[in-house]
Amino acid sequence: MPSLSDSPSSVPPPVPVETHPNRSVGLKEQRALPDPTRLAPEDAYYTSSLPRARPTSAHLDDSLRVLNPNAISASSVAALRSPPAVLGAGGRKEVRKLRGTSRRRRRKGAWKKLLWVKQSYPDNYTDTETFLDHLQRNPRVRPYDFWPLVADSTVIVQHVCSVAIFVCCFVGIVQGRVSPVSVVCWGSVGTALGWIFWDSWILREHVESVYVAERASEGDDGSSASSMTSSGNPSGHTSGSRQGGQRESQVHGLGLSMAHHVAHEPMQRQNTGDSGDADGSAQEPASPVTGSASGSLGGLSHDPDMLPMLSSRNRQRLSTVKSAFLIYFALLGLSPILKSLTKSTASDSIWAMSCWLLIMNIFSFDYGSGEGAGATKFPASLSTNAAVMASTVLASRLPSTTHVFSLMLFSMEVFGLFPIFRRQLRHVSWTGHVLLTLTLVLVAGGAVGITLRGGWAAFVVGSILGSILTALAMGGCSWWLISLQKYKNVVTGPWDPARPIIRRHWD
Amino acid sequence: MPYNIAMVSDFFFPQPGGVESHIYQLSTKLIDRGHKVIIITHAYKGRTGVRYLTNGLKVYHVPFFVIHRESTMPTVFSFFPIFRNIVIREQIQIVHGHASLSSFCHEAILHARTMGLRTVFTDHSLFGFADAASILTNKLLKFILSDVDHVICVSHTCKENTVLRASLDPLMVSVIPNAVVAENFRPAEPRSMKPIGPNDTITIVVISRLFYNKGTDLLIAAIPRILASHPNVRFIIAGSGPKAIDLEQMLERNVLQDKVEMLGPVRHEEVRDVMVRGHIYLHPSLTEAFGTVIVEAASCGLYVVCTRVGGIPEVLPQHMTTFAKPEEDDIVLATGKAIAALRSNKVRTERFHDQVKMMYSWTDVAERTERVYQGISGDISPEEFYGYYPGEGLEASGDRVRSFALIDRLKRYYGCGVWAGKLFCLCVVIDFLLYAFLEMWFPRANIDIARSWPKKVHQRNDNHTLGNDPKNDRDRLDTN
Repeated sequence: MPSLSDSPSSVPPPVPVETHPNRSVGLKEQRALPDPTRLAPEDAYYTSSLPRARPTSAHLDDSLRVLNPNAISASSVAALRSPPAVLGAGGRKEVRKLRGTSRRRRRKGAWKKLLWVKQSYPDNYTDTETFLDHLQRNPRVRPYDFWPLVADSTVIVQHVCSVAIFVCCFVGIVQGRVSPVSVVCWGSVGTALGWIFWDSWILREHVESVYVAERASEGDDGSSASSMTSSGNPSGHTSGSRQGGQRESQVHGLGLSMAHHVAHEPMQRQNTGDSGDADGSAQEPASPVTGSASGSLGGLSHDPDMLPMLSSRNRQRLSTVKSAFLIYFALLGLSPILKSLTKSTASDSIWAMSCWLLIMNIFSFDYGSGEGAGATKFPASLSTNAAVMASTVLASRLPSTTHVFSLMLFSMEVFGLFPIFRRQLRHVSWTGHVLLTLTLVLVAGGAVGITLRGGWAAFVVGSILGSILTALAMGGCSWWLISLQKYKNVVTGPWDPARPIIRRHWD
Repeated sequence: MPYNIAMVSDFFFPQPGGVESHIYQLSTKLIDRGHKVIIITHAYKGRTGVRYLTNGLKVYHVPFFVIHRESTMPTVFSFFPIFRNIVIREQIQIVHGHASLSSFCHEAILHARTMGLRTVFTDHSLFGFADAASILTNKLLKFILSDVDHVICVSHTCKENTVLRASLDPLMVSVIPNAVVAENFRPAEPRSMKPIGPNDTITIVVISRLFYNKGTDLLIAAIPRILASHPNVRFIIAGSGPKAIDLEQMLERNVLQDKVEMLGPVRHEEVRDVMVRGHIYLHPSLTEAFGTVIVEAASCGLYVVCTRVGGIPEVLPQHMTTFAKPEEDDIVLATGKAIAALRSNKVRTERFHDQVKMMYSWTDVAERTERVYQGISGDISPEEFYGYYPGEGLEASGDRVRSFALIDRLKRYYGCGVWAGKLFCLCVVIDFLLYAFLEMWFPRANIDIARSWPKKVHQRNDNHTLGNDPKNDRDRLDTN
């Protein structure tokens, strides 16, 4: 290989690009004992050891004795690498010298991790200092704690319990112990209650966000009522009324707006509760009244563009009700077809299939908190589809159209709507989440007990046994996961695709 | 001594790409050095059977089932019969596989070892260790490389990566970079004469496939900011891909159509003509094993702005490049620095071409690859090839020179993993039985030997072909 100095080139002498912290530090003697958190070259192919603390030169003999039998057994691994990385600095220098004399040409100059420089080292030369010096192991490991892990596992427990309750209801219906109508009635009542809660939470969240926006706009300048309407305020009559209050407060002076806001809060909630309980649209005439009542302090409450419009919040409610009715009647119409859809299939196949589908549902369910991209992201469609299909095939085992309709509606409630509610509940109130988990565990355990034995005694026994088992499983799995963490070995280095850091400011 | 070499890869012309041209250039230069090289790849559309390329390079296009992006179906054994036939017909001694995503190359290496041939593998890409696809690929690579004789990587980062992925002895891995054909990437003549004034337009060129891992997102984020802070700057973007739409949307949103020219896909031979229209080459890639294109850009006399990822920091000297972190802000900053450096005429871009020509040439690559061939086939002693460490209690082990005995091979495969090791051993045993069966069913004696392409006469001056000449002449006389 022609050396660089021989050639009549205009290439300046190689400046090592700052990729090698070890190299740039300079002399080899300065390099102390190898950093135990970093891999040495021999660790790379020597997979069985991967020691956290690498042997120092004092323990060289021991380490070799340890290394040798493994080297024989693990024969995919090639011969042991030369030990310079294990030797101390002085030893390494000696090695370098020996190696140098064994070749025809004496090496001069340190090896550089560069490709454009013609170096007098062979192509397979492995520099023990810079080789793998950018490797990091477990750089971003976050150790788990026991109790947070247990708390997080409640989400899974909730879903498994609701699936168990659904299965028990189905068994009850098939065996004729439970009336399908009562099941679906209880389910519907629960759903309606859940929806009311959900609606009020959404509203409160919305109000809070508007409040924050108001605070911000007040901070900017006083005259931003119009910008407030455009900026994230597709609001209902309540916020319309509050807007009236706000404008009024602007008339009288900025200091009052906060008091007004606080005063309106309970009224809004009450109002929401009312409108949610009934159809939502039925209460619509009342809303301008409320608005005018609350805003009548100032003369600005009769805002001409606010009153005739059906507020968007209520429009949303109306569309929810509409779609609920649509689903209801579609299901009613489809029930006879669903009933005979898989009638010709043998019962064994149905049980097996619904089992697999429900398992699929449990495994593909989106247990995330959904806090990253909007709090009410809808659960993954695969799991919902699997559950609906499971209930469809199960429905064909039922005797009458009413049965089928009830089961289908119930499954929609359990698998389609309940998860949304649970997610929101967890987001809103942790106590409620825990209480709901507890209830679900008790009910699921009891339902399984009743299904297996029958009678209220079985319910109690089932509940107790179920809760104990669930607690054990939650604790055991969490402990297991923590104990598995010691096998975690994430290796990162310059070969990983970089994560681009982009500020999306031009949107 | 000349060798008969078979290059095996899924990726070859007519498909364009870096691996493809690497194989072609390396093969051509090896033929120039007196070796016999054939290329085995799968059949492309409208291209089946045997083809001859320039310089007597013979290409076998084997019909095979292609699954994804020109990779063939990973069937462990089905390639063996025809591969054995080709190898015997061409009297191959060394099988050289390319690209770790090519199952064709993996199969060929496995079968070649069963047939008692020396094998080399060239890795052109970097892989992580995190996702499921990487884990699978890495296990497969470990399987194949357990028994390979030598591995070539295109950069030191690539070497570290491959050593980790396949649990290799680092001394069995050589680093031989890619190269460029400098003649094809000459700078534009007239422009290199006149210096850039403070108000002259500076053109930034980007030539890359518009994929996520090429950093197109960074590009999309950086272009408006660069253009906003530097009024006399224009962009030329060549290439196509899924991110092209995002790029065009960005242009429309910021109304930059008159400052950014999108050329769409360009052929490799047109790349130079695009490059010489610019002053700066911007390469915002997120991962790159070598980055041939930045060498090509430097060869065209462009100042290079690139991200500090993968093997890129090793490729070019500092006076030709400005490095940036893979962050939007840093790329904007680095591009600004590069523009300022060009405007102040600190950078002697007109000398880049000759410098790059000295750094990278395919002849040099072929020479170094030849040394690898010599090392594995025993023409250089193992001590010299792998290094010799006397008096350390660890003599250069015999295992680097891979023995062909089945039991030794099985030992190597067995160490691949608790379950994988046993599975791999099973595969190797079946492969061996298949070989025995093929030897019985299609005996070697019935396979014709292909006649070699006659060597060029002027090559006789070369040292390396001298020893071979009498035989060559005789061959030629016979054919005449």
